[in-house]
Amino acid sequence: MSPSPAQESLFQAWLEEHRGIFVKVSRSYAHSETETGELQQEMLFQLWISLPRYAGQAKPSTWIYRVCLNTALTWRRGTQRRERRIEPEADISLLAADAANPAESAGHRDLLDQLYAALQAMPLSERALVLLMLDGLAYREMAEVTGLTENHVGVALTRARKHLALLLKGVTDELE
Amino acid sequence: MNWSDYEAIWKRQEMPVGACADPATLKETFEAKRRKLAATLFGRDLMEAAAGVAVAGAFAFMWWKQGKAGWPISLAIACILWVTGFFIKERIRTHRNQLGSDAPLLAKLEAEIAELRHQRRLLFNVGTWYLAPCLAAILIVLATILLNAPAGVLAGHRSLIVGFFGGYIALVGLFFWFVWSLNRRAVRKQIEPRLEELERLQQSLISSS
Repeated sequence: MSPSPAQESLFQAWLEEHRGIFVKVSRSYAHSETETGELQQEMLFQLWISLPRYAGQAKPSTWIYRVCLNTALTWRRGTQRRERRIEPEADISLLAADAANPAESAGHRDLLDQLYAALQAMPLSERALVLLMLDGLAYREMAEVTGLTENHVGVALTRARKHLALLLKGVTDELE
Repeated sequence: MNWSDYEAIWKRQEMPVGACADPATLKETFEAKRRKLAATLFGRDLMEAAAGVAVAGAFAFMWWKQGKAGWPISLAIACILWVTGFFIKERIRTHRNQLGSDAPLLAKLEAEIAELRHQRRLLFNVGTWYLAPCLAAILIVLATILLNAPAGVLAGHRSLIVGFFGGYIALVGLFFWFVWSLNRRAVRKQIEPRLEELERLQQSLISSS
């Protein structure tokens, strides 16, 4: 089923408003610039084909996170299958994550790179939770995205935060 | 540094600006891709159903040519239609059970794992639900043709006919063995590694809590 004209407008608005979600998720789950672009395209495509099911009950950001994380979690496994099935589509370079903003200081960029490197070293599921936490989602929203209970999210996050802190220990030491 | 510092760094990251693709191009590309995917899936389903119906039709023609004595061929037709029905039932089940990417992560993982386990079971048992009925159908048709052949024909060319049918059955057997081993290989090389990967992911999501 194709999205309706209203859903198409919604899609366009989301691309602007929630662009950060695509960039952050793809950068956390892909290992190269090419992969980041491919993953972004796949997430956008999944969002497009899921749109007709969006009933407006969930917050757009929560819903987009679900689509993006589901895509990212199963993406590597599906790459070969997709390549066999679908020819390469038009170049969609709308969310280039490498477009460094001159306003960002070099120090801040380094720290951010290290944060992403630490995220990539985490297990896929912990990575998803930390991403949601860093983006400021409430436990209830994280539970909606993951399907876990709020209590479980809390426990899992405590563990994931410890893990992240351990991975960033070198950075922390340098700064202290 | 503490957690809130990390959060601050994260939230301060700048998003690329002004690099948005033309929405019309996006729509066109995604719609073309969606249509292609839908057409591929529909084409595959149609092929599977059409192949079964075509073979059943060919058997029905043979039955008609054989006359009343060709009645055992009806059993062969039933076997083929059973396999076709099984394929269709499986496709409907898969479409119904499929969860979209907008489902919660855990639910989506569970659905994918359940589907993979089901596929593994099907591929392991391909001999029972696919190869055996097809082989039975072919044997029934051959036996009916042989039994109904005029006595003179059989007497004159017995060794030739036996050789032909024997070779044919051997070829069919070889082909079925090939299909069976392909399925086993698919389970070993594709389904099981993917299943393990998803089960690990599911476990980590559950056990991390």
